[in-house]
Amino acid sequence: MATTACFIIVSRNCIPIYEAEVGSAPKREDAAQLHQFVLHAALDIVQDLAWTTSAMFLKAIDRFNDLVVSVYVTAGPSHMFNNDISQCLPQTG
Amino acid sequence: MADPANTPLGKMLLDEITPVVMVARERLEKVITQAEEKDDSELGSDPSPIDNVHARYESANLPTWFDFFNKELVRSASFSDHEAFDHPVACLLVVSSKDEQPINQFVDLFNTNKLPSLLNDGAMDPKILKHYLLVHDSQDGTSENATKILTEMRSTFGSDCQLLCINSSQDGLVEHQDNPWVLYKSDASSGQNLGCFLNVDDINEMRDIMQDLSTKHIIPYMEQKIRVLNQQVSATRKGFKNQIKNLWWRKGKDEIADSSNGSMYTFSSIESQIRVLGDYAFMLRDYELALSNYRLISADYKLDKVWKRYAGVQEMMGLAYFLLDQSRKEAESCMENAFTTYLKIGPSGQQNATRCGLWWVEILKTRDQFSEAATVYFRICSQEPLHSAVMLEQASYCYLLSKPPMLHKYGFHLVLSGERYKKSNQIKHAIRTYKNAISVYKETTWSHIKDHVYFNIGQWYAYLGRYDLAVSHVLEVLACSHQSKTSQDIFLRHFLHIVQKTGKTFEVPKLQLPEIKISSLKVIFEDYRTYASPTAASVKESIWRSLEEELIPSLSTARPNWLELHSKLVTKKYKESNVCVAGEVVRVDIEFKNPLQISISVSSVSLICELSASSDETQSDANSQAGELQNDNKANKIASRELSDDNSFFTLSKVDFSLEGGETIMVQLKVTPRVEGILQIVGVKWNLSGVVVGFHNFGSNLMKKKNEKGRRRGNRSLNDNLKFVVIKSLPKLEGFIQPLPTTTYAGDVRHLVLELRNPSECAVKNLKLKVSHPRFLNMGSQESLDVEFPSCLEKKTEHQSVQPNPNSISQPVFTFPEDMLVKAETPLLWPLWFRAAVPGNISLYLTIYYEIEDTSSTMRYRTLRMHHNLQVLPSLDISFHVSPCPSKLEEFLVQMDVINRTSTDSFQVHQLSSVGEQWNISLLQPVDTIFPSQCLVAGQALSCFFLLKNQRKSGILEDKTSSTSAHLGSVVRLGPQGSTEPLFDTSISPLADFHHFERLHQEISHQGDSTVDFILISRPLKSDPDSGTFDSLQLFSHHSCHCRQVPIPKLRI
Repeated sequence: MATTACFIIVSRNCIPIYEAEVGSAPKREDAAQLHQFVLHAALDIVQDLAWTTSAMFLKAIDRFNDLVVSVYVTAGPSHMFNNDISQCLPQTG
Repeated sequence: MADPANTPLGKMLLDEITPVVMVARERLEKVITQAEEKDDSELGSDPSPIDNVHARYESANLPTWFDFFNKELVRSASFSDHEAFDHPVACLLVVSSKDEQPINQFVDLFNTNKLPSLLNDGAMDPKILKHYLLVHDSQDGTSENATKILTEMRSTFGSDCQLLCINSSQDGLVEHQDNPWVLYKSDASSGQNLGCFLNVDDINEMRDIMQDLSTKHIIPYMEQKIRVLNQQVSATRKGFKNQIKNLWWRKGKDEIADSSNGSMYTFSSIESQIRVLGDYAFMLRDYELALSNYRLISADYKLDKVWKRYAGVQEMMGLAYFLLDQSRKEAESCMENAFTTYLKIGPSGQQNATRCGLWWVEILKTRDQFSEAATVYFRICSQEPLHSAVMLEQASYCYLLSKPPMLHKYGFHLVLSGERYKKSNQIKHAIRTYKNAISVYKETTWSHIKDHVYFNIGQWYAYLGRYDLAVSHVLEVLACSHQSKTSQDIFLRHFLHIVQKTGKTFEVPKLQLPEIKISSLKVIFEDYRTYASPTAASVKESIWRSLEEELIPSLSTARPNWLELHSKLVTKKYKESNVCVAGEVVRVDIEFKNPLQISISVSSVSLICELSASSDETQSDANSQAGELQNDNKANKIASRELSDDNSFFTLSKVDFSLEGGETIMVQLKVTPRVEGILQIVGVKWNLSGVVVGFHNFGSNLMKKKNEKGRRRGNRSLNDNLKFVVIKSLPKLEGFIQPLPTTTYAGDVRHLVLELRNPSECAVKNLKLKVSHPRFLNMGSQESLDVEFPSCLEKKTEHQSVQPNPNSISQPVFTFPEDMLVKAETPLLWPLWFRAAVPGNISLYLTIYYEIEDTSSTMRYRTLRMHHNLQVLPSLDISFHVSPCPSKLEEFLVQMDVINRTSTDSFQVHQLSSVGEQWNISLLQPVDTIFPSQCLVAGQALSCFFLLKNQRKSGILEDKTSSTSAHLGSVVRLGPQGSTEPLFDTSISPLADFHHFERLHQEISHQGDSTVDFILISRPLKSDPDSGTFDSLQLFSHHSCHCRQVPIPKLRI
């Protein structure tokens, strides 16, 4: 199965800083916006979860259909929720 | 949480699952089954208001029809064989007294083939409570006949017979305040004058009969049945013995009847009876009893693997737990269990799953678990798009209501729901959800999301024909540089398509296509400073300032004339704004950038200007007394100001261009004011693809601009920079230098002509000129205008050549003759001498000062600024080496080294002159021996020796010193032997002038007496070096000044 991943770095205040679409799957026209939608929606979960756990890598915290969102939260001086490195991977198999 | 019965779910359950409602529903069965199909489409088109003005954000504004829709969904799953709620408890048979055979009619009504299928196929006990009602309409006659029928009925059916008389109002038309049925049946149409013949007694009687029916018949019947069933169940299933037996028996049964499925339970089977018992208990609000029975049966159904019934029981257990308010966890796990089980059994369980899910959601909502509720809503989504659209929208509201609100999820689910609304052609609903989503995404920089939302709303509005709204939304996505080329193309095409459909040209403020770079904004205008070329205008003001210092009369020199007044006036009145002249162009340079990858065409780019014309009156005021004028003038100005947009007051230039993907273009926009007044450049407008007019106001980015501007023109803000006081038209000089080369070799001497024109009738006078590099440019005298170059420089036998111009040497400012006027049609021509002094890139600046003859004009003088860039290439490198002659004290040996630095050209060395009377130079050897080829090809070096005699020291020269003879000197011809080419006189203008500046420039700190200057004159050979002929029109001079004898160590004897 062809896999695809979207990688976005989000700053504080939910501003995307960096975006990249990687993977072997053929590019779909609406893939970019779907990934953005899914990752944007996952921010809610991240915001909740970042306060409750000390782990930096939050694996599979949210999903939409076959898209799985994993988040790496960096430590920040004032905000725990400083940068997110969000990754959405479709479930393989 | 107070009383579970008071929560929305509790009320819903009480509404739906109560015996009274069940009875009333009996006749409605068919209607409901039909409505169930119509249900969705009918509700979807439910006209919910589309709020165009602003996105609703408050939870209070949830669409009210959600409840109704949910209710109908729940209702659509009723009358299933796996549960007993919808099984009728009692049957009310109603026959009119007008009927000819009422008794037969009653019998017919309960005919088995007309009964619902559940009663017939054995899933339900057909022996239900029957009640017979005879309705008599009093308008048809007296009730005697009716009572007769009633007695007949009593004898046939027993005591459960009643007579109801209606419409007993005699005169008709009894007004009821409100429709008496409105409480019970929401869709009863209120328009018809229902029950206008019913008087108060009739209504009371009806109510009494119904109350009687429920309290005296139905409820006692149910209670009775519960008791009977409870006894049966206890006898067969309760107790240890029964349980063991049941377990054993079940196992055996499992093997026998596996395929017979749910239909194996008839109403008489113990399982069905337990279920009926549970349901009846639930209906009569004995939840403890209901729960214990459900638990009992649940295990049985699970063992039997009858999943639908199992799920149904689990569902009821969840509700019972909820209403008992006991274990939250139990309630949820039961609901979850039921939900997944319903889904497991495939499409037949879908409706039940939906109902179960909705109840589950309500349970969660009651406990403020909104985000969990939202996930349940999400799970309810089925294949059917409309259904899932409504569910997703409800899910989104749950996210909104959760604490803290999960706005990201809210937006996402709104978009998902909108997409499904669109799929089921509910465009208005789709727009509504997307518009709500905008409130979430408005501030974000998630560009793809924004583009998707705005573009879709725009498209849908266009579909609905609301083109104005469509345009405003699609506008948001136009500047989508992050999108792929194809989608950019789609966006733009859709946009233009929509705009075309509106049938008018749209005017859009802040259109983002193309992008305007405000930071590139540059205003170029001419007040007293005028520019000969655009390049001159871009030169730094400070350069011009320093150049003009000596030209412009300073304000401090008090003159008792108008000028003083004028300067005061101007500084006070127009301190804050620029001055420009009517009829002269104000230019604005600004950059347009195409952010897209596709090309766009932009046309009719022009400035937006306002010109408030001042009347002549104020102008004359300005010319009168200065003292009181200030106040009057201001008042007058405001009063007489008339804002005009029509182009009669000024003309604008229009530019058309097309921008390729990513291209940036610098556009020059011009405005020419025609009348006096105040001109304000407001902004710029353009036409995109011929259909959309975009505006950009310069003032809006004021703050950003301030810094940039401050650097250029002092501390004025942008707004002030774009404001001009237009004054009366003035003469303006135009100047050219013909023919100034752009590339030349060092040493090149040329004769140029400065041409000054004044197109206006008003003459200008008192011209003065200053050159930034006098080494390069020198003013000639008027007589030398038409001389032939270079023959004019040839040494004449008679001494009447042009004398060096004392003016140009002594003064940095060249003043034209006092009486010279420049007027229309008579251009002023003046000779200029040019010499490329040093190699390199040189910028030449010329400023010409002139005064306007008409003294009534606001401006007294103006300056013309000319700027030329030229590239000077290296030609010959010359160095001199002077050493004392060993034999004589007055004689020196001069070594001249010449290197041709050019890459292609050849030069012929023509002559070497020494400057100064006292010096005499001569060749040591004949030219041919040292210089056989006569020409210096590219890269070639030459060195030759000369003998230099100091005549003064040797006493040969008679002393006749004069100032003019300072440039006289001796000449050595270096050309070919026997050449008749005349020698050039280095003591006349312009060579002498240039030599003067060279001397100044090459000046060394220690200047002794014994220095000597040399001038080498060479001429370039024509491109073919073999011909040996030189270009007779070109002449190169190389000046080497202050050559000193190399100091030799003094010998002491």
